[in-house]
Amino acid sequence: MQQDDIAIEVKDLRKEFKVSISGKGFLGKLKALFHRRHRIITAVNDIDFKIRRGEFVGYVGENGAGKSTTIKMLTGILVPTSGTANVNGIVPYKDRKKNAAKIGVVFGQRTQLWWDLPVRESFDLLRVIFRVSRSDFDRQMAKLDEALGLRPLLEMPVRKLSLGQRMRCDIAASLIHNPPVLFLDEPTIGLDVLAKQSVRNFLSEINKTEGTTIILTTHDMNDIEQLCKRLIILEEGKIIFDGETEFLKQKFVHEKIIEVEFYEDDCVMQGIPGITVVREQGCKKWLTVDKNSSGIGEVIGAIASQYKIKDISVKEPSVESIIRNIYDNSIKLGA
Amino acid sequence: MNLKLFFKFVSISFQKQVTYRFDCLVGIVNGFLYVFIFTSLWKALYSQFDTTVHNGFTLTAITTYAVLVMAVRISFTMDDSIIYRKVMDGSIAMELIRPTSFFFMNLAENVGHSIFHIMARTFPIVIISIFLFDISIPLEPVRLLAFLFSFLAGYILVAMLNFAAGLLAFWFVEIFPFMLFKYALFTFFAGGIVPIDFFPEFLKPLINILPFQYMLYFPTVILTGRIPLAEVHSIIISQLMWILIMGVICSLMWSAGKKKLVIQGG
Repeated sequence: MQQDDIAIEVKDLRKEFKVSISGKGFLGKLKALFHRRHRIITAVNDIDFKIRRGEFVGYVGENGAGKSTTIKMLTGILVPTSGTANVNGIVPYKDRKKNAAKIGVVFGQRTQLWWDLPVRESFDLLRVIFRVSRSDFDRQMAKLDEALGLRPLLEMPVRKLSLGQRMRCDIAASLIHNPPVLFLDEPTIGLDVLAKQSVRNFLSEINKTEGTTIILTTHDMNDIEQLCKRLIILEEGKIIFDGETEFLKQKFVHEKIIEVEFYEDDCVMQGIPGITVVREQGCKKWLTVDKNSSGIGEVIGAIASQYKIKDISVKEPSVESIIRNIYDNSIKLGA
Repeated sequence: MNLKLFFKFVSISFQKQVTYRFDCLVGIVNGFLYVFIFTSLWKALYSQFDTTVHNGFTLTAITTYAVLVMAVRISFTMDDSIIYRKVMDGSIAMELIRPTSFFFMNLAENVGHSIFHIMARTFPIVIISIFLFDISIPLEPVRLLAFLFSFLAGYILVAMLNFAAGLLAFWFVEIFPFMLFKYALFTFFAGGIVPIDFFPEFLKPLINILPFQYMLYFPTVILTGRIPLAEVHSIIISQLMWILIMGVICSLMWSAGKKKLVIQGG
């Protein structure tokens, strides 16, 4: 990898928070008044990764895994306890303003627009803040309007926007200065299916056409499956997987799911190797097949030879179920 | 710092203030009440003595001081809980992702606030007071210009004091007690109630090593004419030096505070 090819580089990055513990009840609180005990919580625990220009990376993990804390360090909001971070060749927590000029940020649960101002004025303020020329601004706005349908919203005060509308505006706001790197912290939170899809289409497009490097944190695995070629999974502040989403599927999906519907409900699955019945409901059964021990074709053949099948379909576990599996079993992956 | 941007934010903050009209009316009454109480108090005090000059102030001079110090103080009205609120609800994060200085954005917000208070409260109170009380202001152009400089320097000092106090929110969950303490120090040592000249001798060394007198007292006494024109420049130089010192303190606190900052609400 060439050095100028790297958009983000993180080395041994660590963030600790000090939390004070106060005792229970009146006496405990009184004691805490004179003698306070502290506990150190490590939100991000010595992580390393590199992201190349133009990559679309999913950054996932359970609540409190340290996703947002990482993003906040990369955007210059928080100062790391130790380790280094580099975004576009700038150290974000040392050169916050310089870094801010070259990144776009969306925090799904907050807005960077001005609550009382119409959307148009918020955009205009951001234009001045980011020193975007009028002509560049008009060109970018036209593009954003086409993709996100902003026109009907421009005259509305931000506080009157629905969540989906506000999110579209916030995403547009983060792109007014056409930054080379975009951080999205749960940008699809609370959006309906249609709104989610239009946001996804747009992100995919700017990633392809503008070459924008995008780091996305989300709890919606459809986002990941549709958008992110690469996935970084975080657990308790540590990276437990860093690789291609496709690779994750191949390596950790040993099973396929077969959904069969029979004409009778007394079918007993016996003498068919390598299957497990996971669920039954009347004439319907859900089976998992271990890919390593038996072929799908053989299993279906064996079932068909014994029973009359009304309907059958084969499914792959979703990325969501894989990741849930990883969390649940805490499988340590070679990251 | 981009001046155009600065004034855009001053204007937004100003417009926000205009929406609170009732607030403003109460503010005028409140400010005038203070002026009335203090001028009456001085009048009553002075009538108790045979001498007409105390610590260099005649009754007219002290009345003038009471009116003008209140006028300056009202002009310096700032919302000193802005930083605290932004830390508490986590919205400070959305400001830090912009390529702007947090201090100057905060200053712009305060300036908008103050311009509103100057127009809506300071001017009406001063005009009413001129008719109601016996006050005298020397109208020399050079003096007025000097006052303007000293006033602006005092303003920046107050803004820095509030900024530094607000930054305590990076360390502490609750900063209201600190704010009360700051308010008390400011009211007393800046000469907000009683001119520094009336303070006992043993307090003078303390007052001289604190910046507070440069916030209200000196701008006011430059305007009242108590300071000879020849000495005005040395006061303004001292103010500028204090701006430098406070600037260093603010930036040290900012660098240290950043490491302590926790964004509430994820």
